[in-house]
Amino acid sequence: MDFTLSGESKMMVKAARDLAKQEIEQIEAKIEEEDAIPDDIWQKFAKARMLGMMIPKEYGGIGSSALNVILILEELAKTGSAVAFLMALNNSVVETIYHWGSEDLRKRFIPPLCDGSLWPAMAFTEPGTGSDPTAITTSAKPDGDHYVLNGTKRFISYGHKKGYGVFYAKDETEKVTAFVVDKSSEGYTWSKPWSLMGLAGQGLVDIFLKDVKVPKENILGEKGKGFHILLRWIAGERVQQMAFMVGMGQECLNESLRFAKERIVRGRPMTDMQGFQWMLAEMHASIEASRWWTYRVASKQDEGDDIAVDSAALKLFVVPTIQEVARKALQIHGSYGYCKDYKIEKLYRTIASPGVTAGSTEIQKTLVGSALARSKEI
Amino acid sequence: MNIVVCIKQVPETSDIGWDPKTGTLIREGVGGILNPNDKNALEAALQLREQHGGLITALSMGPPQAEDALREALSMGVDKAILLNDRIFAGSDTLSTSYALSLAITKIPSFDLILCGKESWDAMTAQVGPQLSELLNLPQLTYATVITVNRNSVKIKQKLEDGFRILEASFPALITVEKEINQPRIPPMDSIMEAYRDKEVQVWTAEDLVKDKKHFGLKGSPTQSRKVYSKKVQKGKVTILEGEPDEVAGRLIQTLKQKGLL
Ligand SMILES: Cc1cc2nc3c(=O)[nH]c(=O)nc-3n(C[C@H](O)[C@H](O)[C@H](O)COP(=O)(O)OP(=O)(O)OC[C@H]3O[C@@H](n4cnc5c(N)ncnc54)[C@H](O)[C@@H]3O)c2cc1C
Repeated sequence: MDFTLSGESKMMVKAARDLAKQEIEQIEAKIEEEDAIPDDIWQKFAKARMLGMMIPKEYGGIGSSALNVILILEELAKTGSAVAFLMALNNSVVETIYHWGSEDLRKRFIPPLCDGSLWPAMAFTEPGTGSDPTAITTSAKPDGDHYVLNGTKRFISYGHKKGYGVFYAKDETEKVTAFVVDKSSEGYTWSKPWSLMGLAGQGLVDIFLKDVKVPKENILGEKGKGFHILLRWIAGERVQQMAFMVGMGQECLNESLRFAKERIVRGRPMTDMQGFQWMLAEMHASIEASRWWTYRVASKQDEGDDIAVDSAALKLFVVPTIQEVARKALQIHGSYGYCKDYKIEKLYRTIASPGVTAGSTEIQKTLVGSALARSKEI
Repeated sequence: MNIVVCIKQVPETSDIGWDPKTGTLIREGVGGILNPNDKNALEAALQLREQHGGLITALSMGPPQAEDALREALSMGVDKAILLNDRIFAGSDTLSTSYALSLAITKIPSFDLILCGKESWDAMTAQVGPQLSELLNLPQLTYATVITVNRNSVKIKQKLEDGFRILEASFPALITVEKEINQPRIPPMDSIMEAYRDKEVQVWTAEDLVKDKKHFGLKGSPTQSRKVYSKKVQKGKVTILEGEPDEVAGRLIQTLKQKGLL
């Protein structure tokens, strides 16, 4: 078992840190104020070759490992910015198209999502459900060489940005099927973005599909087998989310240390007080445990293992663990932590999101618990 | 246009200790990074290559871990990387460093320019570039904030304490660059992978440079540190000056003058 990171991985982390400093942190205040991410940030990610990293070169990716992606995301996450999440969404969407798409779909849809010209999306959630695939109502009816999609998708990140999205709908047999949808199709419209607690600029819109024609060849995997695609997608997404949690947790600790070393309480720095030292120690231990488990699941993904249960277990552990880290960070900052002038305020809000997106923490418990109950090993 | 860029790995933090006995920096346990100013030299070289073509060789003298600095240069896009590594190089001052680098450069088949950072952030002598040009008998263009290459000559805008100068020299020449010359590129992820997987860092030893080794390392270094010590920082008291703005400003200036700060 080798726990050392390669030179290549370390250099990637460094490059990600420089990118975060130069390109994200500089514009973060503006993003918060305007609740919008400037379009050119996408080209910057493309130039840094951070889009579709796990996809082979011939389709526009760079053929990197899941672990490298996780390490980069962890670094970007320290900004607490929605911009950091962009890369993750792109990775998981193109990876899904790559894994399940025909050669024709791969060639048509992946390169423009890797070169920064188009934006991805993944649309599962609906007004009626975000957790239960059997409850979705968006329909896909065959019509000649097309399917015609009707329905409403809710909370779709970047659903309004020109590009392609993976959409889940029920076909004529009431089975969930995954389609690649061109977001500039006729009948494809959107709401104004939801205003969120955190993640300013995320661009979360509802999508209205009215007789949207999608060519039959745009089906990913087999017709009626969209649920498998969703499960595989979401497992990878969970690991990426947890890399964000680790990065943000680390930044909570860093900010707390900076603050506590300088803040004088009863004539001495807060870090001299045992109570706060204990809090810092617990934060550190929580982050380390979360970090190494996240790396472990990413490595399993690289080894080609099914990570459905591992990633669910990881999420149900990391989400509350890092949320507690953020809570402690706020306590250490006192009222300053409740002010927007301090980074901890934003981190706290951003850290609240992974527990209720891409499957809530509770659902992970159901997933892991039922897998344990089904297991025949004991 | 073929360019050699001399780069150095420096300790990651400026807050490092000294060995009171030998007077050298304690590098153990401190991570190394590519000297920030050398990144400007690399970036300048890459931009010149984009305009005029050619090959870029990055050259570094240092311990085995300095290979990381060269891998970073490869990630940024240089074509070749050479590490001068030998135990005998240990303890080199700027003169014996320049000496070793100059010997290595004479072994590089052809070059039109040598680029160096102005200074390294651990030692900050700004001596290696100029010494190297003397040893190689090349024109030296120091403190460049702009480089323009013409057909048979190279021009720089040199930053001086109280202004700028335009200098011009024929090829080959040596240039040291200021940090404001450019914003170094962030290496793209695919290029990092190539730098580690597909590219080579050649390692040259003292033997590869010259037979007579007396000018290398500690022995070849005329500079010896007698004594090193950290500056003691004493915290003063805060004085709050009160009164009318004009009067307070006057008193402030007076106080600063008294303390020798103005
Ligand atoms: C910032 C952000 C970005 C998003 N981006 C996207 C996107 O790009 N694409 C997309 O499709 N969606 C997206 N969503 C939506 C998000 O993924 C869903 O909202 C989320 O999965 C939860 O669904 P829900 O809100 O409908 O909760 P519900 O399904 O209504 O569940 C409510 C609560 O009930 C509990 N629960 C439900 N089912 C179970 C169960 N089986 N076992 C145990 N407990 C259960 C859970 O605790 C859950 O929190 C985004 C949301 C946010 C906030």
